[in-house]
Amino acid sequence: MLKLFEKETLALESLSDEQTALDVKNLSVRLNDSLVLDNISMRIPKNKITAMIGQSGCGKSTLLSSFNRMNELHQHYAYSGEVIMDGRNIYSKKENVAKLRTQVGMVFQRPNPFPMSIYENVCFGLRIQGQSERRELDEIVEQSLRHAALWDEVKDRLFESALLLSGGQQQRLVIARALALKPEVLLLDEPTSALDPLTTLHIEELVSQLKHNCTVIIVTHNMQQAARVSDYSAFLHQGQLIEYSDSDSLFTMPEKKQTEDYITGRYG
Amino acid sequence: MAKANKKATDKEMRKSKKVILNAQQKQAVSSFTAGLSAAILLIALISLVVFIMIKGTAYFWPANVFKVTTISATSPSDTGQVFVKSSVDQAEFISALENRLETQFSGNKASMPEFEVEQPTKVYQINLLNGDEKLGVFSRLHTQSGQYEDIQRLAKIKAEVNLLQADLRSIQDEQLTVLHRKIANLDQKNVEQGAPARLHELELFDYWQSRADELSSQIEQYSIEFTDAMGNPFRVAVKNTDTLFLPNQLSLGDKFAYSASKIFAFVSESPKQASTSGGVFPALFGTVLMVLIMAIIVAPFGAMAAIYLHEYAPNNKLTSIIRICVSNMAGVPSVVYGVFGLGFFVYFLGGSIDSIFFSEALPSPTFGTPGLFWAALTMALLTLPVVIVSTEEGLRRVPEGLRAGSYALGATKIETILKTVLPIASPGIMTGVILAVARAAGEVAPLILVGAVKFAPSLPVDSDFPFLHLERQFMHLGVFIYDGAFHNQTNTQGSSMMFASCMLLLLIVFVLNLFAIIVRKRLRDRFLRL
Ligand SMILES: Nc1ncnc2c1ncn2[C@@H]1O[C@H](COP(=O)(O)OP(=O)(O)O)[C@@H](O)[C@H]1O
Ligand SMILES: [Mg+2]
Repeated sequence: MLKLFEKETLALESLSDEQTALDVKNLSVRLNDSLVLDNISMRIPKNKITAMIGQSGCGKSTLLSSFNRMNELHQHYAYSGEVIMDGRNIYSKKENVAKLRTQVGMVFQRPNPFPMSIYENVCFGLRIQGQSERRELDEIVEQSLRHAALWDEVKDRLFESALLLSGGQQQRLVIARALALKPEVLLLDEPTSALDPLTTLHIEELVSQLKHNCTVIIVTHNMQQAARVSDYSAFLHQGQLIEYSDSDSLFTMPEKKQTEDYITGRYG
Repeated sequence: MAKANKKATDKEMRKSKKVILNAQQKQAVSSFTAGLSAAILLIALISLVVFIMIKGTAYFWPANVFKVTTISATSPSDTGQVFVKSSVDQAEFISALENRLETQFSGNKASMPEFEVEQPTKVYQINLLNGDEKLGVFSRLHTQSGQYEDIQRLAKIKAEVNLLQADLRSIQDEQLTVLHRKIANLDQKNVEQGAPARLHELELFDYWQSRADELSSQIEQYSIEFTDAMGNPFRVAVKNTDTLFLPNQLSLGDKFAYSASKIFAFVSESPKQASTSGGVFPALFGTVLMVLIMAIIVAPFGAMAAIYLHEYAPNNKLTSIIRICVSNMAGVPSVVYGVFGLGFFVYFLGGSIDSIFFSEALPSPTFGTPGLFWAALTMALLTLPVVIVSTEEGLRRVPEGLRAGSYALGATKIETILKTVLPIASPGIMTGVILAVARAAGEVAPLILVGAVKFAPSLPVDSDFPFLHLERQFMHLGVFIYDGAFHNQTNTQGSSMMFASCMLLLLIVFVLNLFAIIVRKRLRDRFLRL
């Protein structure tokens, strides 16, 4: 398999608490009374890129949305289990959900910039947090756009509408928007599926850089992509976590039959 | 038996008549029908606008004056001459007259009077200050110092009259009123009739009064003498005249200048002569003010109701019932709202307000009577469904992805609604409000019940505290037109003023809609695709 990016991996079984960004314990989720996630337990390592793969409908997005509690926007939603982050259960009653979402950023399949200027898009989360000092904002905007590898392309048009950007630029803007809040975890739900191959490569390159700032969890159903960018990979099937290990072993010598079938393209 | 038979044959006939069309023909037929109905609609719309425009502009355009001489063999009282104003040319005027006579005499040629029509050049149209108009041929000017045959002197004479009037006014304002107040003061202090102070004041009063009388009689002596079509002289006091001109001798430029001044007067003056001349300013002002207050009330309430329904209300039966009720509320006849406004707002709410806050003024009501605020409130209620429906429409246009994006950046529900959803839905809210405004500007029935009157002595805004008098009755263009149409059917001049008001109303609604479209487009450009 093609190796683009440098990787070093720790054994998942021996992760210490400091090395763990999210510790998922027996998480089950029901949407509309159908079991979408079935007793998932996994530890997601800090400052690494973890990929979620699996057929569409297997629950990847639902699992991802459990990490910032976006599932709660569904009408008929029920869950059981825990997700531990920084030593606390994010599902506890005391958790401030809005604050949690600033710590766990999310980027969606379709780029969804707000109909505002590029600058205001990046500031959106900060302004919600009550930050309004111009100098600070300027600084964070530049920094975030640099991290999202977009600065050079937009630095002269920060106050133009974000809707004028191309699809790939918009997706990077949305990433910058999430990065502006300095999240600990960044969730990417099929961030490249609406983009062309060249732009996709661009975003992949960006993603592989992001792990220096935060933990990245990326959903994709492009296996080459998962293999290229991720340190660890998890394979889900019908709401169950079938296999979870470092990407090299998962893609070269999967342990489970279902995983092998999936990555060799026998179904899905 | 026979019936059944007939039925059967009917069926057969229908069967045989049935034309079978292929798909292409069907499409041709349907597109033809659609095109036809669109064309009919367009024609109806255009003819409405053109009709109102022609009738309305005719009011401002100076009319021709014709001299009609009638000779009737049968009834001598019909014989005579008269000046007639008309906006058409001579040939058209004659044929219209012929038509009218024919209907009047039901085609009985023998008893029909003969008539001659000419277009005299020397006839003046005299516009009086009270809004009345007269037609006549100039004979001479009468002044204090004699008579003049030369109408050019009129300007000078008018200036003299103005000076005299200014004198008279200053005597009245600076002397007579002051003295009157002094004497009233003495009365209050029970000063004796024969007291020297009182005698002094009375003497002064008599002196100034006689000066004033003298001045008025001097002013009365200035008049213009005309002769009417029959040759009978009549006089018009100079102080009562506004303008006079020769309508049959106006050049095109003069006509435009005349129209412009008349349009200006129309939108800036009060109605005169029982709303057959003068302007519609109070009605225009009242309409705009009422609609503005209504918009201020309806926009936030409508938007909040829509936000509740769309963002907060659970997705259940009750919500859909509420939604159905809201859209049905738009179909309730407007007069029902008027009755509700009168019963609930005016009598109940207004009565309560009066008994709590204005009890010292009772039994004369302050808010317990129809007025501007109740009218605005009633119209707000009437237009609420429009605003709710179009706001919800706007909310529905907000892409789910943007909401999710906002939540994912740590925004709470209310922050998401205020910062992301509302700006994008604002064209919808805007559309609703403008539709509501256009509706309220043209509504009549409920307004008559809750505060619009055909003549209001004062505007609802003036220099007295608190400047905006929400409890006052007001004039409204729609009511003004309605009233005009009812009371001036026989008076062609009056109906023209009515058409002019119609045109103004149409123009207001049109401008509002245009404004709405522009604003909506700009907001949409800003918030959706560029
Ligand atoms: N709002 C919903 N109500 C009921 N079922 C849902 C809802 N959203 C998703 N699902 C179901 O949950 C399952 C997992 O969905 P999702 O997490 O989006 O899958 P993936 O992202 O892997 O394609 C699917 O079977 C889908 O049918
Ligand atoms: Mg998905």
